[in-house]
This record gives sequence, C-alpha cells and structure tokens, in this order.
Amino acid sequence: MNKKEIFSSRWGIIFAGLGMAIGTGNIWRFPRIVSQFGGGAFIIAWILFLFLWSIPLLVIEISIGKKTRLGVIGSFGKIMGSNYAWMGSFVAFVTTAITFYYTVVTGWCLKYFFATTFQGLIEKDSLNFWHSFNSSWEPVFFHFTAIGIGALIIYSGVVKGIERANKILIPSLFFLLLVGCLRALSLPGALQGLDFLFSPNLAKLADYKVWLNALSQSAWSTGAGWGLILTYAVYSHKKENPILTSTTIGFGNNLASLLAAMAVIPTVFSYFSARDFSTTKVLDIMKTDNQGLTFIWIPNLFSKIPAGSFFLALFFLALCFAAFSSLISQLELITRIFIDAGLTRKKAVFVVGISCFIMGLPSAISMGFFNNQDWVWGLGLMVSGLFFTLAVLKVSPKRFREEIISTSDNKIKLGKGFDILVKLFLPLQFLAMLIWWLWQAYSEDPNNWFNILSQSTVGTVLFQWAVALAVFIFFNKSISKKILGSHEY
Amino acid sequence: MSIEALIFMILIFAICLGGFICSLYLSVKKK
Repeated sequence: MNKKEIFSSRWGIIFAGLGMAIGTGNIWRFPRIVSQFGGGAFIIAWILFLFLWSIPLLVIEISIGKKTRLGVIGSFGKIMGSNYAWMGSFVAFVTTAITFYYTVVTGWCLKYFFATTFQGLIEKDSLNFWHSFNSSWEPVFFHFTAIGIGALIIYSGVVKGIERANKILIPSLFFLLLVGCLRALSLPGALQGLDFLFSPNLAKLADYKVWLNALSQSAWSTGAGWGLILTYAVYSHKKENPILTSTTIGFGNNLASLLAAMAVIPTVFSYFSARDFSTTKVLDIMKTDNQGLTFIWIPNLFSKIPAGSFFLALFFLALCFAAFSSLISQLELITRIFIDAGLTRKKAVFVVGISCFIMGLPSAISMGFFNNQDWVWGLGLMVSGLFFTLAVLKVSPKRFREEIISTSDNKIKLGKGFDILVKLFLPLQFLAMLIWWLWQAYSEDPNNWFNILSQSTVGTVLFQWAVALAVFIFFNKSISKKILGSHEY
Repeated sequence: MSIEALIFMILIFAICLGGFICSLYLSVKKK
C-alpha cells in the first residue's frame, strides 16, 4: 500500500470515524424520535443498544479493515473466503445506494445554508419555499455541488483530504451544536423542553416500540454495519485499538445527538410557550418527517426568536458539516473498492463522482423515488449488520476475538461476552428490527403489501434486495477475482 | 425543570461525555 495512505496520527481515524458516524440523522432524526418515544425512557434504551448493537459491529468492522487492508468486498472475500465476497458486494451496494440519495440531502443542506445567509429564507413562507425549491432544477445543481466538494476531498487522499477535512468539520460541528444548544436554552419556556426530553418516564420502557425505535436509531446513526469504518480502518496504524476507537465513535455520536436534541426540542417548546401551548402540538410537529421538521418547521421556529436568521444559518451550517463528514466516508467506501480493483485514486474518484451524480438524479428530481430508496436501503443496512455478524460466525467468534480483534499491540481485550453477543444478541436484534419494520409496512397497507412499485411496501424491499443479491451472487467469481487478485486467503 | 429530569440529564451526560473523554484519552495517549 502507498505509504501516504495511512492516517497521520490516531486523531486522524478518530475524527474521520466521528465524521462518519455523525450525520444529518443526529440532527434531524434523533430529536424527532426521542420526542415521540418517551424522552428519557428512549434515551435509556438507546444507550443500551449502543453496547448491544453499534459498538460490537464497529469493533468487528475496524478489526476486519485493519486485518485485511482491503475495502468491503475484498474484506469479506479475505475473511470468509472468495465464495462469500458477494456479501461484501451487498454491504457495499447498500451504502452506495444510500450515497446516491445522501448527496441529494447534502445538497438540500447547502441550499438552505445559502438561502438563509443570502436569500432571506427566514422571512419567506417555508412551506412554499420548500415546494418551489423541490420543483425547480436547483436540487440537481446542489446535488452536483455536494458530489463535487466530496469528490475533491476524497481526491486529495487520506491525510490531505479525509483527515484534514474531518479535523476541521468535527470540532466546528460540536462548537455549532453547543452554540445552538446554549441559544435554545436561553429562550423563554425552553426548560419545559429540557424537562420533557430528560424526564425518565420509566413506565414507557414497557412499550416495545420504544425499544425497537431506540435500536433502529442506534443502528442507523452510528454507521455500524455500513462498512464505512471498515474502509477507514484500512488506513489505520498497526497499533490502532478497535475497541477504544469504537467506543470513542459511539459515545461521540450519542453526545452529538443529545446536543442536537437540546438545541431543537427546547426551541420548539419555547415557540409554543409564547402561544397556545400543549405538549400534543409539540409532538405533532415532531411527528412530521425529517424533511418536514428541518426544512419547513425549523425556519418557521427560528423566525420567531431574536437574531433568528443568524442562528438558523448556524443550524444549517452544522447540518452541512454533519452531512459532508458522512458523505466523505461514503464516497471513500466506493472509491476504495475501485482502488482494490486496480484503479488509481484519481480514476476511481472520477468514476465514483460521475456514477453518484447520474444515479442520484432520480432522487434529486422525485421525492417519491427518494423516499423509496431511503426505505429500501435504510432497512438494507440491517442485513449488512447481519452479514458482518455472519462473517465473525464463519471465522468463529472466539478465534475472531483472539486473533483479529486482540492483536499483541492491544492491551485492552474482549472477553467471552463478545461470543455471546455475536452468537445470540446481534442476530436476535437483526430479526427483531427486520420483522418489526416489515410488519409495520404490511399493516399500513395489507392489500398492497407485495406491490414492488409502491413507495414503502414489503414487496419493493424484498424485490430490490433480491435483484441486488442475485446479481452479486451471479457475478461473485469475477468480482472477487478482480478485487482479491493475488490477495487470496 | 424538575429535579428528577435534571438528575437524569446529568447522569446521561456523565455516561456519554465520560465515556467519550475516557475512550478518547486512552486512544490517543502514548503507550
């Protein structure tokens, strides 16, 4: 491997890992979900699943990347044998499919930051603004701009691009979240929001929906099982400790989510405390989707607070930083696979940039297509998590723990609890999440559940997964030969 | 804000911030 392609210090992978984990979901999804599912009770379950799902998967990913020094497809081929490289192909494709529409989301964040700063967004009707923006050519332009900036960072390499960008983005993001938090808490009535967020409400722990939503939030938010931190671990130092890096990323991600919730929820409460207040009204806002809360309600809320325009610009800047820090890791995952296949970084970035622009166009143009892809591949991430678990089971959890995680350079080692997690808890959590989400989709429209052309049905998920799996299994031999080449296990 | 919520908030931050700082310190300290 080129000597340049190693993080310059441990801070490099830590900032990159935090950037990978902290994305728009921390800012626009967590505050929504924590409000809807019990505040404090949800937080307890969410922290528990950090240890039961996210951190174990992050440890597995970092250990595999560090061991194989190959991207996702090559890693699965090397760890499980070339016959299983298709699992890596599926994991890589799920993250790639998400990248196709995540670039669109990043573009929205860019647009809203510019609109707040230069176009006086705060004075406009936010609902009309959102609809006219979405029916114009602008989402395509900003989708292109987001890919351009992301590709430029990846093109600059691991140290000069990824590491340098994250060393700026992550501290700035935490600073912005802290400023947003302090501003929100200084508003009249904000403490009611804080009280709502942190009231333990232990009785709500009896509701299974609290647990399943907490698990899903932890799984999506930390980036565990996406293959992203595996890709970064390819550039890690020999002495990198997968356990400490994973806990730093996991706790850092949760901290960012809490700060975001402390900025958003008290602002919503403050808005209503000056009007006809009721918790139901607050929850109604929080029940709107991610886009509805962020791009329609947030500008509305900030328009009613002093210096609202300035703080709205900071909010969208934070969202941009979170989006880009995650987008970089997604683009790098795809780029790494092309590099493994023999392309130079320059050529790989070019191919990735062009492909992402073209494949992201349908999501930039149609919200229906965007929502369909979000549904299908968001759920696909759970299958990715299962595939990582199966990889460890194939090696044997004990052998994986002793030979791949706990190398002689690492003083902190995992005990037998890891084996139980891999054999029992990770598969059980996968099953619980998958069955529950599919059951919800089925219940919403029982007569149309197998329609593969519908936006959020069981049928569209199973159909798109089946097509992807069939293609990767069929072409497994040629893909693994191209990527593994002389690296055969 | 109720005392109960305040204590819960401090506890949650102690876990998340404490866990973050502790892991970060152990990750980057020279061996």
